[in-house]
Amino acid sequence: MTDTPPAGVMPEERSTLDEQFQGDDTQAAERFGDMPADAVELTGEPIPDTFTHEKPRDPYWYKHAVFYEVLIRGFSDSNDDGTGDLRGLIQRLDYLQWLGIDCLWLLPIYQSPLRDGGYDISDYTRILTEFGDLGDFVALIDEAHARGIRVIADLVMNHTSDQHPWFQASRSDPDGPFGDFYMWSDTDDKYPDARIIFVDTEASNWTYDPVRGQYYWHRFFSHQPDLNYDNPAVQEAMLEVLRFWLDLGIDGFRLDAVPYLYAREGTNCENLPETHAYLKRVRAEVDRLYPDRVLLAEANQWPADVVEYFGDPATGGDECHMAFHFPVMPRIFMAVRREQRYPISEIMAQTPKIPENCQWGIFLRNHDELTLEMVTDEERDYMYAEYAKDPRMKANIGIRRRLAPLLDNDRNQLELFTALLLSLPGSPVIYYGDEIGMGDNIWLGDRDGVRTPMQWTPDRNAGFSKCDPARLYLPLIMDPIYGYQAVNVEAQQNNPGSLLHWTRKMIEIRKRHPVFGLGTYVELPASNPSVLAFVREYGDDRVLCVNNLSRFPQPVELDLRRFEGSTPVECMGGVQFPAVGELPYLLTLPGHGFYWFVLPPPPPERTRGDRVQERPVLPAETEEGMR
Amino acid sequence: MPPPDRTIEEALIGWLPRQRWFAGKGREITGVEIVAGTDLTAPSGGGPLLRHTLVRVRQGDATDLYQVLLGSRRSLPDRLRYAEIVEVEGRHVYDAAHDPELTHVLLSHLATESVVGPLEFHRVPGAEIETELTSLAGTAEQTNTSLVFGESYIYKLFRRLTPGLNPDVEVNLALTEAGCAHIPRLYGWAETRLPGGPPDQRATVGMLSEYLRTASDGWQLATTSVRDLYGSAELHPEEAGGDFSAEAERLGTATATVHRDLAEAFGVREASPELLRDTAARMHEQLESACADVPELAPYADAIRAAYAELAGVGRPIRVQRVHGDYHLGQVMRTDRGWVLLDFEGEPARTLAERQAPAHPLRDVAGMLRSFEYAARFLLAGHKELAPGQTRLLEERAREWADRNRNAFCRGYAEGGGPDPGAHAVLLRAFELDKAVYEVRYEARNRPSWLHVPLGSLPHLTS
Repeated sequence: MTDTPPAGVMPEERSTLDEQFQGDDTQAAERFGDMPADAVELTGEPIPDTFTHEKPRDPYWYKHAVFYEVLIRGFSDSNDDGTGDLRGLIQRLDYLQWLGIDCLWLLPIYQSPLRDGGYDISDYTRILTEFGDLGDFVALIDEAHARGIRVIADLVMNHTSDQHPWFQASRSDPDGPFGDFYMWSDTDDKYPDARIIFVDTEASNWTYDPVRGQYYWHRFFSHQPDLNYDNPAVQEAMLEVLRFWLDLGIDGFRLDAVPYLYAREGTNCENLPETHAYLKRVRAEVDRLYPDRVLLAEANQWPADVVEYFGDPATGGDECHMAFHFPVMPRIFMAVRREQRYPISEIMAQTPKIPENCQWGIFLRNHDELTLEMVTDEERDYMYAEYAKDPRMKANIGIRRRLAPLLDNDRNQLELFTALLLSLPGSPVIYYGDEIGMGDNIWLGDRDGVRTPMQWTPDRNAGFSKCDPARLYLPLIMDPIYGYQAVNVEAQQNNPGSLLHWTRKMIEIRKRHPVFGLGTYVELPASNPSVLAFVREYGDDRVLCVNNLSRFPQPVELDLRRFEGSTPVECMGGVQFPAVGELPYLLTLPGHGFYWFVLPPPPPERTRGDRVQERPVLPAETEEGMR
Repeated sequence: MPPPDRTIEEALIGWLPRQRWFAGKGREITGVEIVAGTDLTAPSGGGPLLRHTLVRVRQGDATDLYQVLLGSRRSLPDRLRYAEIVEVEGRHVYDAAHDPELTHVLLSHLATESVVGPLEFHRVPGAEIETELTSLAGTAEQTNTSLVFGESYIYKLFRRLTPGLNPDVEVNLALTEAGCAHIPRLYGWAETRLPGGPPDQRATVGMLSEYLRTASDGWQLATTSVRDLYGSAELHPEEAGGDFSAEAERLGTATATVHRDLAEAFGVREASPELLRDTAARMHEQLESACADVPELAPYADAIRAAYAELAGVGRPIRVQRVHGDYHLGQVMRTDRGWVLLDFEGEPARTLAERQAPAHPLRDVAGMLRSFEYAARFLLAGHKELAPGQTRLLEERAREWADRNRNAFCRGYAEGGGPDPGAHAVLLRAFELDKAVYEVRYEARNRPSWLHVPLGSLPHLTS
């Protein structure tokens, strides 16, 4: 790439950079010409609006954005060392723009000993060396913004790596400035009601540190000591970290493990009021200095509990802007397996209303999967009964598979699942590679199996890297079905019938209709239990989505009386369907088929003469009149 | 002025037999008389009129009383043409159940608890009724007509009227009061005094309850599961994607909960062993007459008699209570808040007293278990073109499906606090056999192609 800011740019230089960007559209457009040889051809796509944080045009952009989760390590390697990096990602931004992505979500990018995939941060203000440096990061932000793409990144507030200088100082100098940065105790018996999250590897939430001669508290691995948020200096330090990245132009954070910030005796040390109070403080700081950035909470809990992390509904939400809706994905999977809609209907019915300016994040797959621990309560009986007893569900959801292998590479199901992801309430998050139906490698162990290099071309190393293949951070998928020679971006871009083109088209349709992000969700009465039909509605923008969860063709009669007179238009092809009358609306769907219809407002009502003149009158009304 | 009744009565002679809900089909109508007519709208402003009528229909010696909502308009819009009954003195008279501009008048009367002529409208205490909703008349029902108002209510218009509070209203009222979560919410009901009857005698004419807008009935869900199983017959039901057992178990629990609430609302009493002996005797009777009709029953007759004899010999009192009475998969709805039970009217063929009579709750359980058998085998009829080996495999799968879901239902029922089906095997078996024998006779008479369904479960039931 040319014309990117110099490496090592410091935050204070940002304002100048931003000024450069304002009114810099032509220059930005020129940059598109300079792309790597195997990058995507831009077929006359309009250049999206660039934006700056100083003049936010759409502070609620996240409510209708399509997110894309990127594993930098696995996306593109610019320096041929076998590991993906920020510069590599920059080279692929044109592709992501072509696909229609609004926001990238980066997994941890910080300096780390990598004992927990980067969630063990040893320096909050440095980029992991193999990914590049701060200059590369700023370049990424600028290049992404020039394409109308925002960037958010994972941030772990709850704990650090034990390699972090704070921890090293804290253990060796209890009376020094960092002595109170972590939760130290002479005994290991405080907070006995807090569960141990990683039961397989950890025996206790306390670990003894021989250097300091005390125990330290950790909710996750013992090499990840929890920060002490009762210490105002810690609260300040973390705000400083946030400001550092926000000043660099980042568009927000996914806040990892938020429920655990505080611990209190006699509680399970999750979701405490103090934690919410601190999140409100974080949010207030973001709102004050950085409007239009987003905080996305990772709280792997039931929606009714997660909703707390949006904050006060009266304010439109004053904690996190977004939170993940975890149960949607397994419910979709279960509904298709059961060939009936109730697994989805039920979870949608149980999903509470969220504050006005908030949004769910929903996904089909991500780097890390939900566990059964969140579904043990009695009210969660359904999930437990259905999920835990079904060997296939347990095997496939409990461990990590990619979407395509999970669905036996069945194109119809892939399309149905994607259509549901793009039409159910919430902002969809696409996991890198799923748009081309990438496979996984179960022999790599459950975390790495879905983190193999992105498959760009059928060439060496799938176009991911020019390194010696033996040097790749993980081997490529090479089996005959999902291998990179069969499944790759280049081949699918050349094939208009590919999953990639189809997905892009669907994203495009979604983006044409803000209703998918902003609209209400109302499930429709449908005569056939294998069919899930719902209407998304936002003012005059109405979309009817009808999904056949069964592998067999199904008829369905829909009660569409509320839309009487409207002529449904199918979104993919623009075909007009028969107008809605007062009788049930009959549709037939192929196995795993779905339709999206726009429901335009009916033509101006020819006032039904008889209705006006012949209004029935109750006897009581005339009596009233006579009195 | 509303048109004179005389002409309408004559038109009804031709119109009634064409209605699905008319019970006297196939018998000549010898007389139709409008015995009560109540205007539910005021004759002002030239609007459409709604007249509530009670129609006495004579067919030879038999006399039935029907409820008909008559609409009348000076000009009939096209969309109502199909509902027209007769044109008289410049007014079109039609079935007003199909006219949303008139049906919402019923909501107004229910909301205000009006008394109009012989009609009395009631609202359930604490319920609020929205009145400006348009209705759609259901077309599928056999005995009544249901009007769905918006997405909120369903108004069950009882067609053939019998004196007394309709058991469906009676039970729903009691269960609503008990706070039962497994019924649709009841909003109101309407009654009429009966012409010529004692002044305190009423008949229920309608019931307004919550419309379960996103629900499906249990039969559809169960057959969805069976269809999936047949689609991958190499799998056992527990491996198949469409496994129904968790639903069946939850349904069992919901059933037990409703039984408990019914027991609390209507009481429980100890029935003497005598009652079981009488019951067994009636079962024997039905068996003998069925055997005479259906020779295919013969191989199982001895085993069935033995089961009835065991029932007669139980020799201890049993606890009886109000039950559903006509319980099967078509009477339960899966909603997004779990299972909901519908239609507590009891078997339509029985008298009111019979329908209200207490029975052992396992009667309902037996009904549902028979329904699982039907669901498992129903689709077999559609697979006639299969090779014999394939048919045998599907038969086996049907058996496995029924067993798996029966067990799950019974487990859920016992867990929900109902009398454990496992501990009352003699009762349950006799109830099931009695139901199966009834089905055999019914299918042999009415739907011979379905005879294989009840017959197919007899080897297992009698083993």
